[in-house]
Amino acid sequence: MSDYKLTALAALDGYQKSFEGAALEEQIDLAIVSIAVPLGGTEALSKALQESYGASLPKVGEISLSKDGQTRFLGMGNDQMFAIFDHPGADAAKLVAENLKDTGYYTLQSDNWTGLKISGPKCRRALERIIPIDLDPAAFPEGNVARTVMEHLAVIVLRDDENSFLLIAASSSAGSFLHAVETSINNIT
Amino acid sequence: MTQTNRIAGGLVERSKTVNFSFNGKSFQGHPGDTLASALLANGQRLMGRSFKYHRPRGVLSAGSEEPNALVQLRTGAHQEPNTRATVAELFDGLEATTQNHRGSLETDYMEVTDLFSRFLSAGFYYKTFMWPKSFWEKIYEPIIRHSAGLGRISFEADPDIYDKGFLHCDLLVVGSGPAGLAAALAAGRSGARVIMADEDFLLGGRLNAESLEVDGMLGSQWAAKACAELATMDNVRLMPRTTIYGAYDHGVYGALERVTDHLPSSNGKPRQILWRVYSKRAILCAGATERPIAFGNNDRPGVMLAGAVRSYANRWAVSPGKTVAVFTNNDDGWRTASDLSRQGVTISAVIDTRDGQPRAQIPGATVAMGGRLMDTSGRKGIHTIKLVDGRTISADCLAVSGGWNPNIHLTGHQRGRPAWREDIAAFVPGADLPPGMAVAGAANGALTLAAALKEGRAASDQALADLGMTPKGGEEAKAEDEAAGITAFWHVGESRARAWLDLQNDVTAKDVKLAHRESYRSVEHLKRYTTLGMATDQGKTANMLALAIMAECTGKSIPETGTTIFRPPYTPIPMGALAGRSRGKDFRPYRLTPSHKWAEEQGAVFVTTGMWLRAQWFPLPGETHWRESVDREVIGTRKSVGICDVTTLGKIDIQGRDAAEFLNKIYVNGFAKLAIGKVRYGLMLREDGMAMDDGTTARLGENHFVMTTTTANAGPVFRHMEFCRQCLWPELDVHLISITDGWAQLAVAGPNARKLLQKIIDPDHDISNEAFPFMACGELTVCGGITVRLFRISFSGELAFEISVPARYGDSLTRALMAAGEEFDVVAYGTEALGVMRIEKGHAAGNELTGQTTAANLGMGRMVSKKKDCIGNTLSERPALNTEDGLRLVGFRPVNRTQDLTSGAHFIARGKEAVMDNDEGWMSSVTFSPELGHSIGLGFIKSGQERLGEVVRAVDLVHGKDIEVEIVSAHFVDPEGERLRV
Repeated sequence: MSDYKLTALAALDGYQKSFEGAALEEQIDLAIVSIAVPLGGTEALSKALQESYGASLPKVGEISLSKDGQTRFLGMGNDQMFAIFDHPGADAAKLVAENLKDTGYYTLQSDNWTGLKISGPKCRRALERIIPIDLDPAAFPEGNVARTVMEHLAVIVLRDDENSFLLIAASSSAGSFLHAVETSINNIT
Repeated sequence: MTQTNRIAGGLVERSKTVNFSFNGKSFQGHPGDTLASALLANGQRLMGRSFKYHRPRGVLSAGSEEPNALVQLRTGAHQEPNTRATVAELFDGLEATTQNHRGSLETDYMEVTDLFSRFLSAGFYYKTFMWPKSFWEKIYEPIIRHSAGLGRISFEADPDIYDKGFLHCDLLVVGSGPAGLAAALAAGRSGARVIMADEDFLLGGRLNAESLEVDGMLGSQWAAKACAELATMDNVRLMPRTTIYGAYDHGVYGALERVTDHLPSSNGKPRQILWRVYSKRAILCAGATERPIAFGNNDRPGVMLAGAVRSYANRWAVSPGKTVAVFTNNDDGWRTASDLSRQGVTISAVIDTRDGQPRAQIPGATVAMGGRLMDTSGRKGIHTIKLVDGRTISADCLAVSGGWNPNIHLTGHQRGRPAWREDIAAFVPGADLPPGMAVAGAANGALTLAAALKEGRAASDQALADLGMTPKGGEEAKAEDEAAGITAFWHVGESRARAWLDLQNDVTAKDVKLAHRESYRSVEHLKRYTTLGMATDQGKTANMLALAIMAECTGKSIPETGTTIFRPPYTPIPMGALAGRSRGKDFRPYRLTPSHKWAEEQGAVFVTTGMWLRAQWFPLPGETHWRESVDREVIGTRKSVGICDVTTLGKIDIQGRDAAEFLNKIYVNGFAKLAIGKVRYGLMLREDGMAMDDGTTARLGENHFVMTTTTANAGPVFRHMEFCRQCLWPELDVHLISITDGWAQLAVAGPNARKLLQKIIDPDHDISNEAFPFMACGELTVCGGITVRLFRISFSGELAFEISVPARYGDSLTRALMAAGEEFDVVAYGTEALGVMRIEKGHAAGNELTGQTTAANLGMGRMVSKKKDCIGNTLSERPALNTEDGLRLVGFRPVNRTQDLTSGAHFIARGKEAVMDNDEGWMSSVTFSPELGHSIGLGFIKSGQERLGEVVRAVDLVHGKDIEVEIVSAHFVDPEGERLRV
């Protein structure tokens, strides 16, 4: 047994801050697993999703929720979805693979991304400074997911709640990502 | 003696006083004033000096079209030149100074240039300053540059911050006058998402400047009521102080919101916001801008646009003069006389170019129907006006109206051309509007009040119907149409003194005629030759007159002459607003490696590689020169063991039944038969046969590969492969996703690399040479069960591994390996040492994969398999790329070992002239080799592989170096590759 132990570090060290009208928090236990749909395997994967998660295969831009409400499946592409759920370990891909077996191709994405949850009555006014897409509840209700670009960073956006959003961006630029969102909140308060 | 020109009424807050300074002198005004209205209230007519001739100038207008009253607003780093006094909201403590004069505003020494005006007419610089030739660069140009330019910047960094943003709406209403308010009300009441923007700080447009009524109340009161109703609607966003400056594709409009310019300080918040407004429909209700009539000395302080004089009287409760005269060719000008007369201001004369009956009764005024003005007296402020018939009349303010130009600019931003309407003698929007845009009100040529209200409402109802919504606008506002007859009249030909057209660039009617004589007759040539319309006001009050005069000269009609093209921005935008947050450190994002924090603690020197920050070297205390550190890192690695963070190299996860076949088509060499648990070096070509990128690809499972790319090409290779799988071979089952950021990857290299790793790898895994030979790969665990991927590959040429762990453990793994490596004198090495070692081994990198070299050039010609097709295979066979004497990558060392090689040097044979014809190739990479003790290089030279031992010259003309080099093998260190396989 090696004498050395490895400890996990979140990209933003578990950042958490409250502002006037908005709060910002790193989602450190956000597990993300990419599931690619094999060519000709849509039916099989749909069936497996239904059987093990009670969820349907999401269309692009849609989110499909598992029956127990614990896992969201984001429609990221014609043959690709992301499963996101709370899980602190780096073995998330194995968990999904165990559930869906060989009906899909699985890739761990948890550490590829940093998740920031922004919430509060002023969060939309802050986000309209950096997010190009229409976040009005009618245009972007719960159950929608979108890829967009903000401040030169690719970002995945989804509505968590009436007044909260989950933003997911590449982990290597987590610092710049946080700075962009923080600056937006500071600029409107 | 303050504010002697104030009259009753207006929309300023008389109960409060605002103190400001103008050229160091203190004045007072009220909240709601602009700098211009406050100066006029205080009797200050002289507000600036003109650009070329330094003629005394006063304010001409009451809006953003102002050409004369340009000031430097604020001081120090906040100073901004060319601020229109007509749009600068007055605030307590405002400081303004005039610009463009030497000496004081009252006594400008540069006014002497006006005496030389005969020699300084349009385009004079094309005909003068030619002799002697040498004087141009050293004397004439500097002098002209020094005296040119409007205003001065502070040369200090802009202390304000700016922001940007994105807004979405069903309907964007541009302008808040009668048409805009009618449209916004109707759409807002119908539940549509509406944004109404106006450049002014008080919404209402010309309703605030006129004495006309809507729904039985004063227009400005009706506007306030409408805005109050709109403010209660959640679906409506009111944006005063916001200029919609451009109409872009797909219904996207650019908007500049001035958030704090009306406040003494921005208090650390964004001063301005540059918005992109995504609209489904837009209605341009931008109103109209008045134009003057040109006649001799029509540029003097006191000569103003008639509608502006009305604005100052009705909105700002200021009479710009004590004795006001009106010069007009239309009915509208008469209302200035009647409005001011009603307020008790003396009207000395109304001169109408049209024949017929006076259009109104103006007590005490001399009325001259069919009259024309030809001159003014009073250089620093008029006191008399002179008619063509010889009469002179007293006036210290002359209100001129030549008609109104609909503000059609945004309709032309996508190359739509305007149409001419003879009845209002003006251009109106043409047929080709930007998709989704409608125009209503004065901007559409409906210059009267009732018509504007009606058009705004109708346009809004139509826009909503287009969007499938039901218009529920409620009762329409009621008003009457005022008289608006006009007979076109552009300039008084009898004038002897210069008649001014473009007041900002000092262009006269004579200049237009000169342009015509010199054959610059199209409006586009007229504009550039005379510079008319090219100043910060873009000729808003000048263009129409100029092209009318040009039309007279050419004998064409005005519509035949046409206009120049309108381009965004409508009014000037500060560079800071365009930059937004992209300044200094925030210019673009940073990408940090998982070991970054640890590297910072070590005092690493960082280098930017694209957006990444990579440790370049790790200086130890006492080291004073980078070579000391780099040499130490190389020696330490080759002697024992070194660790380098290589996370930045692209990592692409490839899965699918056809993944192997896919790789076979991407790479030049074979991958279909790569065994599970093995890694292979791969080279990929572009479609045209040029080398594109290289890397290693590992097979982790039957249908699972992980490809590495160079750092710089991670994105481009991914994009290329997505294109291939989606568009070229959609029948293959293959899927890609980037895992670059998600896995920390460290190179562990040197004779003790395996021993070091064995200290952290869990004992149930065997990484001996037998169990884990060169080019093996696999998933293992370390430190009690943490999953890692291990690859036995080497860029350094030493016994080496790359260990990859989920990025959350990257920092910890780095520290663990450095601690475990202490017993082996482990060194951390950066990109410099990485580069030294790969050059010593002769490995190609970015310098060699320039996109201009082929596999053959790289010495990898035989790697391009002819048993299978791959991207670029066919075109790589082009004869020109496969000549006998083609370039080959080889090594170089200086004949005199004490000399340093330079990359970029070109190879010339001894005894030959250093010219292009004798160029045999170039040096692509150089370094000092600690192992060999001298400089070495890699480079491309014709037939290089057959010329080992030959001596040529490496010529660097940029640095003046020319040294003899020997052609050698590119593999300087351990050429047999023995160290790799231990």
